[in-house]
Amino acid sequence: MSETTIVWKKCKKCRKLQHPDHLRCIQCKNTTFDTVKSSGDCKLLTYTILNAPPSEYRDKKSYTIGVVEYSNGLKAIGQIISSENLKIGMKLTSKFQKLTENLDGKEIFGITFKPT
Amino acid sequence: MNKVAIIGVGHTKFGKLEDKNLLDLLCDASLQAIENSNTNDKDFDAVYVSCMLAETLNHMTAIASAVVDRIGLIPAAADHVKNGPASGGSAIKNAFYSITSGACDMVLVVGAEKMTHITTPGLITSAVATLTHHNAERVHGVSLPSLAGMLTRTYMEKYNVPKEWITSIAVKNHKNGMNNPYAHFQKEITLEKALASPIIADPLRLYDICPISDGGAAMVLCSAEIAKKFCDTPILITGVGQATDTHIVYEREDLTVLKALQICSKQAYSMAKKTPEDIDVCEAHDAFTILEAIQSEDLGFFKKGEGAKAAYEGLTEIGGVIPINPSGGLKARGHPLGATGVAQVVELVWQLRGEAGKRQIEGAETGITCNFGGFGNNILSILVERM
Repeated sequence: MSETTIVWKKCKKCRKLQHPDHLRCIQCKNTTFDTVKSSGDCKLLTYTILNAPPSEYRDKKSYTIGVVEYSNGLKAIGQIISSENLKIGMKLTSKFQKLTENLDGKEIFGITFKPT
Repeated sequence: MNKVAIIGVGHTKFGKLEDKNLLDLLCDASLQAIENSNTNDKDFDAVYVSCMLAETLNHMTAIASAVVDRIGLIPAAADHVKNGPASGGSAIKNAFYSITSGACDMVLVVGAEKMTHITTPGLITSAVATLTHHNAERVHGVSLPSLAGMLTRTYMEKYNVPKEWITSIAVKNHKNGMNNPYAHFQKEITLEKALASPIIADPLRLYDICPISDGGAAMVLCSAEIAKKFCDTPILITGVGQATDTHIVYEREDLTVLKALQICSKQAYSMAKKTPEDIDVCEAHDAFTILEAIQSEDLGFFKKGEGAKAAYEGLTEIGGVIPINPSGGLKARGHPLGATGVAQVVELVWQLRGEAGKRQIEGAETGITCNFGGFGNNILSILVERM
């Protein structure tokens, strides 16, 4: 997976967009999917600044989590690399990158967003 | 289908209980319920033990086997029921169907959690966050408070709701907890103080969030036919519902709709042939203030977007049109995860028996619960009535 592409699934039968973890469509139970890639740019739907991180993020005092929507209707959750001047509806760019290490020292990858 | 009655209940103090371990809490609550139901000399067919994090926080497995051994209920069938913070509701559901099916006559349900001995920062938050979707949510550092923070922001924007309407729920629940001798907090708070407490998951503050607690709760259930032999005021379980929703919270069309609660409460109402208007008292799952506001809507008491306003206007206080969380709720009674679903029904039993003391809702005859087993993705609703 490239650093900036986020790959999702679209049901071949009912066209429902969904997270790649689903083995059967959450809407119609179909098992065949097309691959959908995010466009990189997205808009912020909601967010929170978390001041009490779980122990996997013990090295951080605080971080921001947000839910976004891409122009193709795909939604995603990730960390926003900023906690200031955030506004619902604002434009963000997204990236797939290393986020932290878990309690066993294994690298954890995920999605990050940055105001454009 | 046999009818099911609750003939006795038990409830330990909730809070930081330094001299009690998990098994102590489970057994203390169980023995209270057995004593309260006058079944000291009776054999039990089954025992359902609810606990979410026994392995993670207490390094214990096979806790159901341990309980029946310690309290002398061998050879009763014994199961450990796990469904996140709705383990209690799920244990009651299992007990209910074991009796309605005719398989069992006498059943014990007990739930407990021992949490406050964990002092590593973030470890409890992390242990609870294991219930979120691993690849979509958890890897990004999503915790339960962060989901609640985002839900609060979405709800406030969508329905133009000021934060004080939502936070007033914490003030009301602390006021109710004052009169619950088993509550973790028996202390009133002011709205000003709650609105100025430290920010945890913006816009949620410390006083919007339930505490980490130790505690246990239990009940004895039997077929209604024999209930009066043991107890003058049996309480019937007449409705049970359970439903699920997307594990990934953002995959829901509208974050502010708890579809699983709409479905499971409808199942409970329909089984009991009741409507929301028939309910005199409700125990909701206010792990975060926003949840009680939205649950009061999806349980059918208020229109969408009006739950927080209703709470702010006093409609859910004791004496209001639909009192919610007279026990103090998760906010003030406390939230020992595996005990909560059981404690909710124990409170309704006390209310329906008229034994709730200073927090008694006059003439309460019918009550309903909402017990969350995730962030809205696995919900139970239990409806109880006077016999």
